[in-house]
Amino acid sequence: MGRLRRSRTHHAIRDVHRAARTRARTKDLDQIQLIDLDPKNRAKLEAQPLDFDKPGLAQHYCVECAKYFETDAALHSHWKSKVHKRRCKQLEVPAYTIEESERAAGLGREGKRTSTTVTSVPTPVKQDV
Amino acid sequence: MRIEKCYFCSKSVYPGHGSAFVRNDAKVFRFCTSKCHKNFKMKRNPRKVRWTKAFRKAAGKEMTIDSTIEFEKRRNVPVRYDRELVATTIKAMKRVAEIKQRREHAFWKNRMLASKEKLRTHRKKKLEAAKKASVKLVEPMALDSPEKERIRKKIRVPAKSRSALIPGEGRSMGMEID
Repeated sequence: MGRLRRSRTHHAIRDVHRAARTRARTKDLDQIQLIDLDPKNRAKLEAQPLDFDKPGLAQHYCVECAKYFETDAALHSHWKSKVHKRRCKQLEVPAYTIEESERAAGLGREGKRTSTTVTSVPTPVKQDV
Repeated sequence: MRIEKCYFCSKSVYPGHGSAFVRNDAKVFRFCTSKCHKNFKMKRNPRKVRWTKAFRKAAGKEMTIDSTIEFEKRRNVPVRYDRELVATTIKAMKRVAEIKQRREHAFWKNRMLASKEKLRTHRKKKLEAAKKASVKLVEPMALDSPEKERIRKKIRVPAKSRSALIPGEGRSMGMEID
């Protein structure tokens, strides 16, 4: 028997698999856009209490990239970097959500339609009064 | 039993098929195949992957506003089983599907009409550009250049000066039969 497996299939895949594990999962774009970028949450994230488990005691945090930095200088140089700018560009467009996937499938929500009818009903009543 | 929709490609996920991922904020992501799950793990945006429904809808390749799409809905109030209701519903579903198919075909035809025109103008433009380029290519290959004439003069040899020393020149072997 000769060699059965194709050669050169490894492509440093170990690191790719490790980065894709659930425990190494980073925040999704919709989480950042809808929750973290809200000014209230943003202020909270930027002024976190000392946490000995996080890099730099959780004192230097980039909200857009959801990443902790060791020093203030590192955070500032990160803000000037291409990675950060690319992330900001991605956050400009509305993030893809489960609702959008359902809308694309042609699946509407019953509750939403009723809510729109409810809001449309009171307006003529006000006009009558 | 509920038929879910795939998060990535928006295909139907039937009971017992596919897989689900629950994010740490309790959002459930359903996937029809491992392909969709892998693409999700790679953090790809379905709106930018051409084979997904999200792409096709966002890029205007499929109908987005239509009354036939409105029928399918997530209904959270259960309905008591009624034989007649089921029969009429199935009848209605068939009719709606028929209408939807016809409308989709019309939409596709309309889309192709516009794209065909675009293709035609593009081809015309390309052809003209190619013509211009080919004319330019032919130009340097002019036939009567001064250099060629000069060379021809040097080569010209009078017909009488055939020597007998060179075989096959003038008196070739057995070819002159007079």
